[in-house]
Amino acid sequence: MMYFWNNGHPGNHAAFIEEEETILFSELDRDVKACMEKLHSETKELLFLLCKNTYSTICLYLAALRGGKTVCLLPASLDPGLLAHLIESYQPEWLAVSDLNAGGELFGYETFQHFRSHTLFQRRKVGEHPPIHPELALLLSTSGTTGSPKMVRLSYDNLQANASSIVEYLKLNGDHRPITTLPMSYSYGLSVINSHLLAGACTILTEESIVSRTFWDQFNTNRAASIAGVPYTYQMLRRLKFAEMDLPSLKQMTQAGGRLPADLQRYFGEVCSVRGIEFYVMYGQTEATARMSYLPPEKMLTKPGSIGIVIPNGNLRVDEQEELIYAGPNVMLGYAESRGDLKRGDEQQSVLRTGDLAEFDEDGYCFIKGRLKRFVKPFGLRINLDDIESYLEKKFAGRFFCVGNDTKIVILCESEPLLEVARLDTLQRYGLHHSTIKAIRIDDVPILNSGKTDYSVLQRKAGIE
Amino acid sequence: MEQKLRTIFAESLEIPEERVKDELEYNTLPEWDSISHMSLIAAIEDSFDIMLDTEDVIDMSSFGKAKEIVAKYGA
Repeated sequence: MMYFWNNGHPGNHAAFIEEEETILFSELDRDVKACMEKLHSETKELLFLLCKNTYSTICLYLAALRGGKTVCLLPASLDPGLLAHLIESYQPEWLAVSDLNAGGELFGYETFQHFRSHTLFQRRKVGEHPPIHPELALLLSTSGTTGSPKMVRLSYDNLQANASSIVEYLKLNGDHRPITTLPMSYSYGLSVINSHLLAGACTILTEESIVSRTFWDQFNTNRAASIAGVPYTYQMLRRLKFAEMDLPSLKQMTQAGGRLPADLQRYFGEVCSVRGIEFYVMYGQTEATARMSYLPPEKMLTKPGSIGIVIPNGNLRVDEQEELIYAGPNVMLGYAESRGDLKRGDEQQSVLRTGDLAEFDEDGYCFIKGRLKRFVKPFGLRINLDDIESYLEKKFAGRFFCVGNDTKIVILCESEPLLEVARLDTLQRYGLHHSTIKAIRIDDVPILNSGKTDYSVLQRKAGIE
Repeated sequence: MEQKLRTIFAESLEIPEERVKDELEYNTLPEWDSISHMSLIAAIEDSFDIMLDTEDVIDMSSFGKAKEIVAKYGA
């Protein structure tokens, strides 16, 4: 098998573009090898890599995979206090900080050397740890930047299998050219890098956001052909009047990271079908390396709200409780909470309980109905908070967020006039006592780094828990 | 107009009005990231009752620039 981190593409093809520089596959190979030498060790060790969408990060990541290290990808913007906490939990032998000016001592590590825009630190005193499991390639956080030590353990085969499925269903080849719009420490952002490396395509690396002029200059100069986004990305693109933007090089758009609201799905479905841009709605979780299903572009307007069909080599079904169960070679080995867990092997046997409730229509297209644990039971009545949200969104053409516990439900909305109607409608729909539901206005919707809604902040605002 | 715009900036970015100067630039302070940029744009459109073009949204990279852009709409 040709793993994507081993160079197997024509050396004279472009692999990455960063600002003015085009890096060929031959140069990538050379740089990854140089990086491997710097990271060399006799035994399998752990590297914490602070990521930006830079070529420096790419080289370190690939060198870790090729050199048999276990690498944990973290956002460069991670709060130093939270980083210190993670270091305490996992005791990595190596720390790669995306700042050339860092030096001296950091968290008990000593500057080792520099690699492009990173500074490498090596642990002064290596602790006594059980050997890391040979299959363990990657640790990714599921919570973004909250600094929780809970990590997903992914194997070399997980990474390769998911990248390979993605190449197949997106029909990627060397002519594709994505531009980075998501962080590499986020499974979806990383899957864009992995799958295009496997396809031998060239990826444009940028840290710029889609609301900046620099981003669109880079996009146009380098003729970017695809964009990956979470719902929030698409909300911003609509705000930028995407339909009126002149982007002749754009051929493909993908969306994951949560449900795309119906109005956005219609907007992009229509614009993209007119312009001949393929728009893929997708579904995934970090626990499945990244992706589990996709909606073929031609179904976007006929199967609105669907997460589509399973990716190649996977299987999707629902159990008796209607929970969506995925099976496939991209299912993680398991979770980790601390260094001691890195010795563990496969605990999932390729099966993942997604925690999502789903159903299939008569054509086999899957629809997510809500989260298993987003159920509340006021007065013993089982109510799905996601269901309330999507119902209100359809009925009142606004954005609604719902939080609650077993005694009350709080609806949050940015629009004052919609509050009372939404509240009364929901009360009536479930036949609840008027004191059970409150509706409060919010100024803005708190967003996690991954682009998902931050429900913990909404819960605090609503006074839940 | 300038004072009204300054108030919008201060409220959208959650920073004191004294900090809103012409040189205040996008992405140079943690409070002005891509997410708050969009709420800033929304607030400007609502308060001045205008609809900003794509070019204006991505060009609004400083308070000084924002003044020029809003003035262009005759607000």
